[in-house]
Amino acid sequence: MSRLREPAHRVSPRARGLWLLQSLSGFAVLAAGSFLAGRWVGGSRWSWVPPWFQDAWWLLPALVVAIGLPLCAIGPFVRYAVHRWELSGDVVYARSGFVTREWVFVPVSRIQTVDKTQGWFERLLNLATLQIRTASHAGSSTIVGLDYEVAAALAEQLARRAEELRDDAT
Amino acid sequence: MTGPGAPAAAPVSRLSPRVLLIHPIRLLPSLLVPPLLLVFASGFSPSSYIWVVAGVAGTIVVSLVRWAAFTYVVAQERLEIRRGLLSRSVRTIPLERVRGVDVVTPPMHRLLGLAVLKIDTGAGGEEKEEAELDAVTLAEAERLRAALLRRAPQAAVAARGTGATESVIIKVPRRWLVYGPLSGAYLYAPFAVVGGAIGLVFQWGDNLGFGRDAALGVWRWLWDRPQLLLIVAVVLVIAMPFAGGAMYAVFTWDFTLRRRDGHLVAERGLITRRSVSLESARVRGYEIVDGLAERWAGVCRAWAIVTGLGDSRTRGQLLPDVPRKVAVELLADAVGPYTGPLVAHPSAARQRRLFRAVAPWVAFALAAAVLRPPYWGVAVAPALVLAGAGIPLGLDRYRSLGHGYDGVRLTVRSGSLRRAQAVVERRAVVGWRIRQTWFQRRAGVYTVVVGVGAGEGGYSAVDVSAEQTIGFPRAVTPEWLAPFLEDG
Repeated sequence: MSRLREPAHRVSPRARGLWLLQSLSGFAVLAAGSFLAGRWVGGSRWSWVPPWFQDAWWLLPALVVAIGLPLCAIGPFVRYAVHRWELSGDVVYARSGFVTREWVFVPVSRIQTVDKTQGWFERLLNLATLQIRTASHAGSSTIVGLDYEVAAALAEQLARRAEELRDDAT
Repeated sequence: MTGPGAPAAAPVSRLSPRVLLIHPIRLLPSLLVPPLLLVFASGFSPSSYIWVVAGVAGTIVVSLVRWAAFTYVVAQERLEIRRGLLSRSVRTIPLERVRGVDVVTPPMHRLLGLAVLKIDTGAGGEEKEEAELDAVTLAEAERLRAALLRRAPQAAVAARGTGATESVIIKVPRRWLVYGPLSGAYLYAPFAVVGGAIGLVFQWGDNLGFGRDAALGVWRWLWDRPQLLLIVAVVLVIAMPFAGGAMYAVFTWDFTLRRRDGHLVAERGLITRRSVSLESARVRGYEIVDGLAERWAGVCRAWAIVTGLGDSRTRGQLLPDVPRKVAVELLADAVGPYTGPLVAHPSAARQRRLFRAVAPWVAFALAAAVLRPPYWGVAVAPALVLAGAGIPLGLDRYRSLGHGYDGVRLTVRSGSLRRAQAVVERRAVVGWRIRQTWFQRRAGVYTVVVGVGAGEGGYSAVDVSAEQTIGFPRAVTPEWLAPFLEDG
């Protein structure tokens, strides 16, 4: 029985920094929010709030930190191990995910547009995200954390090849 | 219609002047309500009636101006719609962009021999996807439909010998309307009617001569007689299938599916007749839908999977509830058959379906029993009943799962309360997406999503085995996976 091998190329090592920045900024908002919510509800003396929570409202932000921080710490490394991509035989093959894994196959002949985008953090780290779109969202692929030069070259190559192969069945 | 290269002086058309009998009546409420309120507010003073007359006159003038300022022309391979007197707008639609033309005849239009033409361009951008001609005569509607849909690809279809012909694929017999309530559509109708009536009383009760105090009084009187309330509730519930069935009958009356000039034309409706044209060359497959009750009766509904069709849920319907055997035959004739088997999914999928159908209710019951909030017994009993019902439901969900490929079309099926089976041509596949959640990783199963450039965009084979995860895409598009496979 044959099985899928992993795609040939890793994304840029700097992508770990990107994921760390992204998850930390998200975590900061969540932690601050849970702290404020806990203090508000805990100090409110509302009748439906159980007494033990009024005394120990700090448990809520503590729980968020206890679960969130380790996830923030390991997430980038797991993602870096999982996220891979390859272009072979005119098919883009990409793997991604953290808790949920995804493998996507997009033949170049069905590509409609290739976009490379750069967010805030990505510009800081000289990274880019490649969005390969077909007529279907399920048949579209997004490769995050590519080195900017790699992304630009790949986008150029895909766009040129897609033009040559254009087939109008869809 | 003028062909390409003909002089640009094609006749400019206006909408049928008969719409002047319809539009003022439609505009009337918005222009007449303020003056009428004024009449009430001023205590029926004579001067306020002048405003009413002005309102009526205003609607007529507005309608006239709108009609006069609205023109359209089909020339040089495009449709141009001009409208507006002060602010002008010109909309140009290249005929090659026209995906479908719907002819809709609401009751008033029908009396006057008129129809509304809706032109689907599948533009998707900022502009509205549809252009509307409200309204033209029935003869003009037919002429326009033919003119708008006649272009290069159709010539090829005509050459194959099906052009300019019209054949009825099915005219659904009226006795099959009895299957309607089984679909579960429109079942809420009685509650919507009662709710609407209550809302009306509260909004307009004062103006109609009885205050909301009276309405509240009626409610209190009912509240003191719970047996009457119960009877009302029971009557409403009993009315559900009848009212739902009646609505279904009104909307799907004389459903007819025809083949005409390379298009599939579906026509339906008792009061408002709606006719939708789907270009056969853009139909990539179909979706067969049947709920629990429908499976028990052996009937199903079907929708077309079409590229670039806006609002495909209401527009793409190919068949209302008809016996399954008939549906399969007709779909094979109208679009194409699926002749392969439906492969079952591994037993891990059964356990996952069962767990997901039962566990949430058990967890809820346990939490209620442990935490014991007030009235916890009331919550536990129904939760346990639902958990029990989850066993057959989960098993049925598992039985529904399946996928397959017959060399031309692939198919995936899932769902229980609403089971849906998609049948899609191979050439419509634009990519594959394999997904595995953390729970699926524990069970060793995957979800394979077929990316399709039509319909909903993706159709999933849920909880397939590792072998099927590679086998299914490889059977359909072998060359796409080949570079990435290794023996192991």
